[in-house]
Amino acid sequence: MQSVIYFILVPMVYIACAIFLVGTILRVVKIWQYPKQPTTLQIFPEKKPKWLWTLYDTFMFPTVLRHKPLLWIFLMAFHISLVLLLIGHLELIAEFGIFQIVPHEVFIGNGYVGLTLAVCLLYFLFRRMISPVKDLSIPEDYYLLILLFLIVIFGSEMDWARRWYEYGEMTVEDYRTYLYSLLVFKPDLPYSTTFSGHSFMLVLHVFFANLFLMLFPFSQLMHAILSLPVNKLRRG
Amino acid sequence: MDSQTQAELLKLFRSKFTQAIKYYLETCTRCGTCVEACHVYASMGRTKYISAYRHEIIRRLYKKYFKVRGRFWPSVGEAKELDDLAIEELYEAAYSCTGCRRCMVYCPFGIDTQLLMSIAKLLLIGASAEPEILSLLADTSVEKGKSLEFFKEGFLTGVKQLEKEVVKKWQTEAGQTAIPVDSVGADLLYVALAGAHSIIPAAAVFNAAGEKWTLSFFEAVNFGAFVGDPTKTKLILDRIINEALRLKVKEVCVCECGTAYRVMKQLSGRQPFKVSSITEVHARYIREGRIKIDKTRFSGTVTYHDPCQIARNGGVIDEARYILRHLSNDFRDMTDDPRYNWCCGGGGGLVALGEDTLDFRMKSAKVKVDQVKASGAKILSTACENCHTQLSNLNDHYKMGVDVQFLSSMVADALVPKESAPA
Repeated sequence: MQSVIYFILVPMVYIACAIFLVGTILRVVKIWQYPKQPTTLQIFPEKKPKWLWTLYDTFMFPTVLRHKPLLWIFLMAFHISLVLLLIGHLELIAEFGIFQIVPHEVFIGNGYVGLTLAVCLLYFLFRRMISPVKDLSIPEDYYLLILLFLIVIFGSEMDWARRWYEYGEMTVEDYRTYLYSLLVFKPDLPYSTTFSGHSFMLVLHVFFANLFLMLFPFSQLMHAILSLPVNKLRRG
Repeated sequence: MDSQTQAELLKLFRSKFTQAIKYYLETCTRCGTCVEACHVYASMGRTKYISAYRHEIIRRLYKKYFKVRGRFWPSVGEAKELDDLAIEELYEAAYSCTGCRRCMVYCPFGIDTQLLMSIAKLLLIGASAEPEILSLLADTSVEKGKSLEFFKEGFLTGVKQLEKEVVKKWQTEAGQTAIPVDSVGADLLYVALAGAHSIIPAAAVFNAAGEKWTLSFFEAVNFGAFVGDPTKTKLILDRIINEALRLKVKEVCVCECGTAYRVMKQLSGRQPFKVSSITEVHARYIREGRIKIDKTRFSGTVTYHDPCQIARNGGVIDEARYILRHLSNDFRDMTDDPRYNWCCGGGGGLVALGEDTLDFRMKSAKVKVDQVKASGAKILSTACENCHTQLSNLNDHYKMGVDVQFLSSMVADALVPKESAPA
């Protein structure tokens, strides 16, 4: 069992990151090798500067706000929480002064970022179970949402245990030791990460996160990268 | 479907790949924001008419043949075999979409359904399953470009017969030709449709404005674009480009035909002439004081239907409203944002298919009828031949009781003769 845990927490992380990075770069490069569309795909009336409006479209989802305001609230909450999660994970690798502009304890959000994400994911999932979105959805849509939910729920539970139930066996320092060691290619698994009562949460969290990274370049998750250029086409 | 046909169709599919198409095929999250965007879905309420559903018909084939996981785990993306059933689905998707691109205004990524449907149309051509009449019409246009001399005399005789009608609308100067044709060194080449209604009012306005113009030998409409054949689209377009270059004109003015305008404007590339729609040209004449129009000529509320290819997809939006505010004291827009004007339901070749699509066109454009009725207008103006035909059909079918008018005809009818124009 320990070798399975070791595989998930160390080699699989490297494999997943490599697939994610190489896969994403290759996919984008391959798309760029195709010719540009000979005609404009712009929608009028146009607004200038076009690049600024493209950024607005990409990050603020104005069309969703206009047509599906409830979905917009959940989408914004979800994506903002994702950014906060990213910051939180960076802070689990090392201390970054810039993130402490707003002083906070690591992990950022006092447990509520994960909770927000989990609620949003449940909304997205149940929304897909009702027509007409149900009729549009394909298995991939459900699998990815369930996968994300599993990542979030196991990751958040570790945070909630520390924050809300004073579970102290796995500390921020333990996570930092583990993640930093991966970064410098000198893997080190503190005792608590593999033998404490909650270590199974870490293992499952990392396992599902690995799957997510490996699926990213080959799924609709690529919208995270392609959203900007595709929105630029509409702005001209 | 035999394997050779399938291989040839997949080759056609691949030939459509551009950066944009790849983005569109890879990005959709099926979030459902586009559900209410399509007039067909809004009018008929069937899932197959939701924009994202149309995309998926293409995307399922893409996943099957151009994505690795389509081979070893097809069910995850509902990847689908390209077979006879798929061809039927492609037809249903492509020829129920008018290419209005209203869904682009809804989609958080701006995915262009028309561009994805162009893949479907090309595959239909490859499978000889496209509407035959559209291909025949495209072939006729191409042939006309090849053998201009053959029909030249007949065309000139026909044009000569129209001159009297032009003069009735606007008295030309002595010695001035009412409809100049093949005039080298003219400033403007006017590309009309086959039909007096597209030539007479335009000619009267050009003459009133003192324009140095000439009429094209070719009709503007591009059936190659309707049927989704890029080669024929280009050949039909090239006839006009070559004529413009030969006549050394400074401007090509496209008549009230949405597809013709968009193809000419966006596909003709860098040329020594500019491309304008007749609406832009008329607005310019009014702005520059080259023509005067009578604001009292039309009574009752006037509204305007934005032809999708000219407005949302071509950028000619304010000009039509500028003209209408000079034509009427009671102009009322149908929507506060022209991007959201409903499609009339006649684009994408549907009107050209005539009676075959009439029932579908009437059912699928119910929301347009509601929009027109809500405006309370007596006159429904538009600047596209297809839109005019479709709106007239809707007017008859739903007994809307509006007077459907071409914008250019309204301008011609309201021309104020020079002697009556205030100094």
